[in-house]
Amino acid sequence: MVIKVKRVKKPVFFVVFLLIALFAVSVIFGFSTFYGDIETVYVKGVDDIRFGIDIKGGVDVTFTPPEGFDATDEQLDSAKEVIVQRMINLNITDYEAYIDYSNDRIIVRFPWKEGEAEFDPEAAVKELGETAQLTFREGYEVDDLNKPTGVTASNVILEGKDVSQAYAAYTQSDSSGTEWVVALNLTDEGAQKFKEATEKLYAEGGVISIWMDDTCISYPRVSAVISDGKATISGNFDADSSKKLADQINSGALPFKLVTASFSTISPSLGMGALEAMVVAGIIAFVIIAVFMIITYRLPGFIAVIALVGQVAGTLAFVSGYFGFNASGILTIPGIAGIILAVGMGVDANVITAERIKEELNNGKTIDGALISGYQRALSAIMDGNITMILVAIILMGAFGTPDSIFAKALHFVFFMFGPSTAGTIYSFGFTLLTGTVLNLFFGVFCSRLMIMSLSGFKAFRNPVLYGGAKK
Amino acid sequence: MSECKFHIDFIKHRKIYFTISAILMIFCIVSTFIFGAKLDIQFKGGTLITYLYEGDIDISTFQSDASAALDGIGVKATTGTDFNTGKNNIQLSMLSNSGLTADKQILLTDTLTEKYADNDLELIESTDVSPSAGKEFFSKCIVAAVFAAIVLIIYIAVRFKNIGGWLAGVCAVVALLHDIIVVYGTFIVFGMEIDANFMAVVLTIFGYSINSTIVIYDRIRENQKLYGKKLSLGELTNLSVNQSMTRSINTNITTVSAMIVISIVAMVYGVNSIISFSFPMTMGLISGAYSSTCIAGPLWVWLEEKKAGKGKPKAAPEKSAEA
Repeated sequence: MVIKVKRVKKPVFFVVFLLIALFAVSVIFGFSTFYGDIETVYVKGVDDIRFGIDIKGGVDVTFTPPEGFDATDEQLDSAKEVIVQRMINLNITDYEAYIDYSNDRIIVRFPWKEGEAEFDPEAAVKELGETAQLTFREGYEVDDLNKPTGVTASNVILEGKDVSQAYAAYTQSDSSGTEWVVALNLTDEGAQKFKEATEKLYAEGGVISIWMDDTCISYPRVSAVISDGKATISGNFDADSSKKLADQINSGALPFKLVTASFSTISPSLGMGALEAMVVAGIIAFVIIAVFMIITYRLPGFIAVIALVGQVAGTLAFVSGYFGFNASGILTIPGIAGIILAVGMGVDANVITAERIKEELNNGKTIDGALISGYQRALSAIMDGNITMILVAIILMGAFGTPDSIFAKALHFVFFMFGPSTAGTIYSFGFTLLTGTVLNLFFGVFCSRLMIMSLSGFKAFRNPVLYGGAKK
Repeated sequence: MSECKFHIDFIKHRKIYFTISAILMIFCIVSTFIFGAKLDIQFKGGTLITYLYEGDIDISTFQSDASAALDGIGVKATTGTDFNTGKNNIQLSMLSNSGLTADKQILLTDTLTEKYADNDLELIESTDVSPSAGKEFFSKCIVAAVFAAIVLIIYIAVRFKNIGGWLAGVCAVVALLHDIIVVYGTFIVFGMEIDANFMAVVLTIFGYSINSTIVIYDRIRENQKLYGKKLSLGELTNLSVNQSMTRSINTNITTVSAMIVISIVAMVYGVNSIISFSFPMTMGLISGAYSSTCIAGPLWVWLEEKKAGKGKPKAAPEKSAEA
C-alpha cells in the first residue's frame, strides 16, 4: 500500500477549532448581524426552537361541518387528510388529528406556545378550515357581491381534482416582465376538458376566470388552444403566495367548509418538567461521553469531543432555522431520538477511528503512518454505516412526508397504494437523522481528520502515548 | 495476524446464542398474549372529556381522582385556556378499550364535580374519537419497514459482495428484527403504552443495530482481503468479531450510559414518560450489541456453511470463503 504523507499545516487546527466554537456559540445564543451592508438578519438561537405538543404544549381545535350539513364518514376522512397535509405545508410537522364520526367532529392539535412571535395560531386555524376549492370557469360574470353568476356560475371547466400537480414558478411573460405564477399539470381527463374549452372560447374570444372558493384570482383572455395539459395561473403573486396556492391545490379541497367549534390551548402531554429534564440529562450525558472519550482515547478523544460539539450544534441549527434557507422545524421526542442516534453514530465513527489508529501504532507504524492508515481503514466502516442511516432516513421521509416532496416522489412506486397519509413525528425523526448523519460525515470524519493531522505536526504532540500507543 | 485482546470463540458457541435468542424472541411474542399490548389513544381511539373550571387544579391529583372514579382505568389529563372565552379547561383522555359507557361517564362527572366543588366544574364536551393513526398508517409502516429491509439487503449485498453479500444482508436484517422484538417485548412486559415513544425507540434501534452489524462485516471484508484463503470462514469471523470487540464495548458504554443518565434524571424530575423512552432504548442497545456480535456473524457463517453443504464449522472448505 502506498501511503502519501501530506502534512496538514499547523494553524489548521486552530482555524477549524475556532470556527466550530464560534458556530456552536452562535447556534446557542443566536444574534443579529449585517448581511451585505444593509439588511440586519436575526439569527435564531436554541431558544427559538419550536417543540412538539408532547414537550411544550399547543392548541386544540375542534372543527365541525357547517350547521345542517351531515358529513359522511368518507368525507370526514378526506377532510382530516386535507387538514393534515395543510399542516405539513405550514411546516407543522407535529400534530394529532382525531375524528368523532358520531358527532361529525374533527379534533386537531398542534404545537404552539404563548408569546411565540413567528407563528399565529389563529391564522393557521383559519387557513386549515378554508375549503380551497379551485375552479376554472367560463367567462367572468359576477353579481354585486363579486360572486359568479350566469354562465360563469353554471359552466365549471376544471376543478382541483383535474390537476395532477401544481407548483410555483418564476416565468418571463410578454406583458409584465418576470413574475411568479402557479403552474398546473392537468390529468388526462382535465387536459381533454381544458382543450375543448379553450377551443370553444378561443373561437369566441372569451375569457376563463380562475377562482379559489368565491374569490376570483384572475380572468385571462383565451389566446390559444391549450392541448398539452399545462396551464398557469397568474395574478400578482409573489414567491410566498404562489407557493401557498400551489400547496393548497396539491393538498386538495375540503369536501365542506370547516367551522371552528372550540379553540383552546393545551398543556404539554409529557408534563411541564419534561423539557428541563431532557436538557439537564443531555448535558450530563454529553459530559460523561466527553470524559470517557478523552480518558480512553486521549488526543483523538479530545478531537472527537470538538467534532461532536460541532455536530450537535449543526443539527440544532437545522432544527431552529438558523440557516436562512430552511424554515424551522418542530422538535418532538422522535426528533430528539433522531439526534441521539446521529450523535451515537458520531461517537461510533470516532471510536472506530481511534481504535484503528491505536492498532496501527501497536503494529509498529509511526504516528503519521498510523494516523493516515487508521483514518483510511476506518473510513469504509463509517461510510457504510452512515450511508445505511441516510437510506433509512430518506425512506422514512418519503413514506411519511408530504406527497409533493422530492423523497416522496422518488418513492412513489413503493407507496403508491397508500393515500397521502403523512406522519409528522416520524418525518421529524427522519429529518434530524438525515441532517445529523450528514453533519457527522462533515464534522466527525472530515473536520476531526483535519484537526488531528494538523496537531500531530506539533512537537508536543509527537508522543505515541497521546494516540493510545506504547511509550516511545 | 495482528494482536487482539479478545479470543472468544463465537462460532463454537453459536448454538447457545441461537437458543438464547430463540427463547427470548418466543418470550417477547408470547408475552403479548399474557400481558396484552396497550395501544395509545392515537392508535386505538378513545374518549375525550373536557370540563371548564375555576381557580386552580393540580393536574396529577385530578388525573388520579378521575382514574379512581373509573375503577383504575388509565386516564391522561391536560389543561388549557379557551382562545375566545379565556376560560380554563381540563381535558381527560381515555382509551376506548377501557369501556367507558354513558353510565360511567355520568358517574365520573358526578364524582369529580363533588370532589372539586370549589372549582365549579362544568362538562362542556365528551367526544368519542377514532384512532388518528389507523390501519392505513400501520400498513404503511409495515411496507416502509419491508422496503427499508430490502434496500439494506441490496446495499449490503453490493458493498459486501466479496464476503457473500446476500446472505450477509439477510443476517443483518435478522439481527435487526431480533433487537426490535426485544424493544417491543420491553414495552409489553413493563406495561408501557405503545405510542410515539415506541416508534422513536424502534427507529433508533433499527439504526444502531444495522450499524453495529456493518462495522463487523467491514472487518470481515478487510480480513478476507488480508488473509484470504489462509483462514476458514469461521476463523475469519471469529477474528473479526474479536477485533471489533473494543469498539463495540466502548461505543456501547457511551450510548448505554447516556440512556441511563436520561432515565435517572427523568426519575428525579418525575417525568415518567421519558423513562418509557430511555429504558426500552437501553434494552434495545444492549440487545443490538449482543445480536451483532453473537448472532449476525455466527448466523451468517452457519448459513454459508449450509449453502456449501458442510455441517462442521472448523471444516469449512476454502471455497466457501469466496462464495
